[in-house]
Amino acid sequence: MSLTLTSPSGFWNPLLWLAFLILFTLIGYIIYSKGNPSYKKDTEQVKPYLSGNIEPSKEKIQVKAGDIYWGFVEALKDYYKVLKAMHTGDLRDYILWYLGIGAIIIFILIGGV
Amino acid sequence: MGKLYNFKRSLWVFHASGGSCNACDIEIVAALTPRYDVERFGIKLVGSPRHADVLLVTGAIPRDFADKLRRIYEQMPDPKAVVVIGNCGTSGGVFYDSYNIAGPIDEIIPVDVYVPGCPPRPEAIIDGVVKAWLKIEKLEKQLEGKKE
Repeated sequence: MSLTLTSPSGFWNPLLWLAFLILFTLIGYIIYSKGNPSYKKDTEQVKPYLSGNIEPSKEKIQVKAGDIYWGFVEALKDYYKVLKAMHTGDLRDYILWYLGIGAIIIFILIGGV
Repeated sequence: MGKLYNFKRSLWVFHASGGSCNACDIEIVAALTPRYDVERFGIKLVGSPRHADVLLVTGAIPRDFADKLRRIYEQMPDPKAVVVIGNCGTSGGVFYDSYNIAGPIDEIIPVDVYVPGCPPRPEAIIDGVVKAWLKIEKLEKQLEGKKE
């Protein structure tokens, strides 16, 4: 049984790949073993250098999707302040708003008759 | 031939300037640039304390910078040495006992070599770094001894 798969773009042999994998694992281990074993875990030695400043939390420095709209939200903050106050999270309130606004629209459409 | 424990690598140096008037810093630059060219001996200025063997500190250290200097020192891998360049870092210099100075550098982090002067000449700085190199070789030997 032949393990070699020949195709127009080359060939593939699992044994050859296994040999490469073992070789690269060995090289990787040699590089790893040359590392400095005297570093102290859980100290400043493993933290990034930020000109001596304390590393800020990831939440503080990450750019959030909402930050893209910062200018928009900032410009309309008075409007959003009112909306946020109205935004209770209670579904019944929203249905009430829906019915109320719907009633006003119907009232306008039929001309108040 | 027995196993050599001495520090076999090039010596990498990190420079932390804390409130220096820049004179000592300029002399460090003079030691690096072609006239003295310490890189030919393998002494290289690096941009992160995490890569450095020696910490060069200049200036009287203001209170706000003291904790940052401590953190920079802690980020350096072992073995490491600290060289203080100039009078301000050594004793406080003209800023001695000032209300906003955290004190001489050896009150903040352990110092191995002092290079006094206002500012010291590049030859003195190179001499100081060589002394730090000898200290690191000793520390390296101790660390190797601990491993065995």
